[in-house]
Amino acid sequence: MTSYIAGSPTEGHLLIIGAGLAGYHAARGARENGHTGPITILGDESLPAYDRPALSKAFLSGTVTVQDLALDDPDHPLDVTWIGGSSAVELSASPLGVHTADGTFHMADTIIIVTGAQASRLPFSGTRNPDVYVIRNVDDAMALRGCVAEGKKVAVVGGGFLALEAASTWMDRGAEVTVVAGEANPGTARLGQPVGCAIRALHEQRGVRFAEPSRAQEVETDEDSQVLRLADGTRIEADIVICAIGATPSTAWLRGSALTLEPTTAAILCDDTGFTGVPGVWAAGDCAQWASQASGIRPIGHWQEAVEQAGIVAAALTGVPPAPFQEPYFWSEQYDVRIQAAGRLAQADQVQILEGTIEGGDLLVSYLKDGEEVGILGMNRLREIKRWRKLRQIKHRAALAA
Amino acid sequence: MQVSLRVCSLQDLEPGEGLRIESVTPPIAVFLTEEGTVHAVDDTCTHQDASLAAGWVEDCRVECPLHESTFSLLTGEVDQPPAKKKVRVHEVQIDGDDVYVELSQEAPNLPPGVTTA
Repeated sequence: MTSYIAGSPTEGHLLIIGAGLAGYHAARGARENGHTGPITILGDESLPAYDRPALSKAFLSGTVTVQDLALDDPDHPLDVTWIGGSSAVELSASPLGVHTADGTFHMADTIIIVTGAQASRLPFSGTRNPDVYVIRNVDDAMALRGCVAEGKKVAVVGGGFLALEAASTWMDRGAEVTVVAGEANPGTARLGQPVGCAIRALHEQRGVRFAEPSRAQEVETDEDSQVLRLADGTRIEADIVICAIGATPSTAWLRGSALTLEPTTAAILCDDTGFTGVPGVWAAGDCAQWASQASGIRPIGHWQEAVEQAGIVAAALTGVPPAPFQEPYFWSEQYDVRIQAAGRLAQADQVQILEGTIEGGDLLVSYLKDGEEVGILGMNRLREIKRWRKLRQIKHRAALAA
Repeated sequence: MQVSLRVCSLQDLEPGEGLRIESVTPPIAVFLTEEGTVHAVDDTCTHQDASLAAGWVEDCRVECPLHESTFSLLTGEVDQPPAKKKVRVHEVQIDGDDVYVELSQEAPNLPPGVTTA
């Protein structure tokens, strides 16, 4: 039988760099597993950990408040010290700790790096600051929420779920929205042709326009107009440009440190427990690339993945058996349609419509590899997707052994 | 005043599945467990607007169809994030084939953006 050795002293100081989803769940997991020493969570934003998915949806539309986004339960708060507005600038391997921008050195027995990722932006030129927005943190979403939407021309750059959610929220707010994506039917390469077509239909039915597929290159401004220039020469006039073109790991402060960063993405390389190879230092979430992600087995950048990784790091630190990885899962909300997908979609060689139609916003799609189902996607198919996931759930190793 | 409402027939229920009842506000979910017991709780997850009737029923708990919070069908309490608050439990009486529910008098814990109006 496998025995588990705690990677961190129970009474030691656990320092978590990054106050996001992975940071919150790592702290919560460590406490649940019996870590008794102090836990400090440093965040570069002022708020304690909050949930980001709503930033492009219910928060952007004004339905939910900043308080609603909080991950910690105010009635049963975690026993941790939150330090906001504190940016890490340097990792010290010996003595173990982190220097922050205000000149403080935070000593630690164990460090978990969960600094997340930052939104990529388009270059711009012109005579004034452009009205270009990203949606990564609460300040970004607040800035966008403060813009008048009614009758404004909005260009959304990107074809991923974040871009499409932003398009949906801005249509609902009364704007004229044009989506600029690399694919005619956004999502086709990743989710298959029927889903790409269904997503486009969903948006066109609400009046969204799609530019001819091309890469956005630059935003140009002059005194009274703003233009988004595409690689194919198209120019799209837009009062507001929303950029949802991906994100890069927030690891610039770790260049030159003892950690190994992935040469292209600069993600922190870790094994599948989140260990970085530097004694006492672990990493999880969007700033990291675990071995199974590098090999393409696990997805990158999903909410669910960050939660599961945080739980695994917490288990490794405290010496309890880690919960096994589950089938990958991600979801989106666009208008009144919930899109949920689970499984290993990237491995599929065949996509099959099980139920629903492309126009109906009610597709249920199966992903097959060599004839075997490896994934599923549903539009407003909550019952079916939950069942699929639960029937494939891998129970806790401790429970299996019992 | 407590009133018993007829919400459905036993024939409307499938073992291990939930049935959303929209004739009451906020909607409730009635579950028939694999063990044969019948339970009623508020249908809307306290974290986000999702119908618990579409969730997964196991060990007398229902797991929200969106995330991993599970609610006890006996007490309504929640086990883990992202939900923080319990759902209300409504008393169930069976009379022949008819399922009656006595609605809880507590205030419901509805998610942000969902109102009873």
